[in-house]
Amino acid sequence: MTELVFYIIAVSLCAFAFLSVTVGDVFHSAVCLTFTLLSVAGVYFFLGAPFIGVIQILVYVGGIMTLFIFAIKLTAKIGDASIRQFTRQLWPGAALAGAILALLLAVIRANAWSLRLLPPVQGPDLKQLGVELLTRYLLPFEFISLLLLAALVGAIVIGKVKK
Amino acid sequence: MIPLGHFVILSAVLFCIGLFGVLTQRNAIRFLISVEIILNAANINLVACNRYLAPANAEGQVVSLFVIGVAAAASVVGLILIISVYRQRKSVFLDDFNLLKW
Repeated sequence: MTELVFYIIAVSLCAFAFLSVTVGDVFHSAVCLTFTLLSVAGVYFFLGAPFIGVIQILVYVGGIMTLFIFAIKLTAKIGDASIRQFTRQLWPGAALAGAILALLLAVIRANAWSLRLLPPVQGPDLKQLGVELLTRYLLPFEFISLLLLAALVGAIVIGKVKK
Repeated sequence: MIPLGHFVILSAVLFCIGLFGVLTQRNAIRFLISVEIILNAANINLVACNRYLAPANAEGQVVSLFVIGVAAAASVVGLILIISVYRQRKSVFLDDFNLLKW
């Protein structure tokens, strides 16, 4: 039963991701990306990482998607859907992506680890994650806050209308 | 039981969809959307390998949290750059972004 739910989520995830890079209107593309990100959060719940799933929904769906929709609405023009959305490299790009996908699938099929099943022990829990973040990964953790502060200040400076 | 390979295949498919988007999109916002898809593919891989291959550690989840944080910062700066160029050029298409050319 859980397997069935996982495969439904996986197929809808791929379908929404594909739609979000091919659909004509940019706003529809952002809506498809929202569903893609929600499905990715579902995959995290399947992998026993509920904290990452919640963070995914909070940061991506709550924060980044809001930004995307603001950016689309601030830059939208009437009749955007009729404008050509792809560069002239549409078919070479598709061929290259398909070739890399075939290569990756061949590598995954050729390796024995791809048949590993879920180990019987429990995965890392939230407590372990928190301890790791504040002991071994404290420095990168603090750098992330510095990076976010820099992004905040940089966005205000770049976005300010010059008088 | 779902084998690890299926998660990795899902991640590979997502990565290639994102790569296709990065290679072919003309609209800068959709280019950023494709980049987000690629980052999510990498995150699925990290969390899945953490759960299946090293369940005693939390490294994969820690790194995926960092990826989410960096992706947030990157998309903020990317979107504000697009809006800033849009104010000057009245366009969000990458082939109009030739401000540095002479």
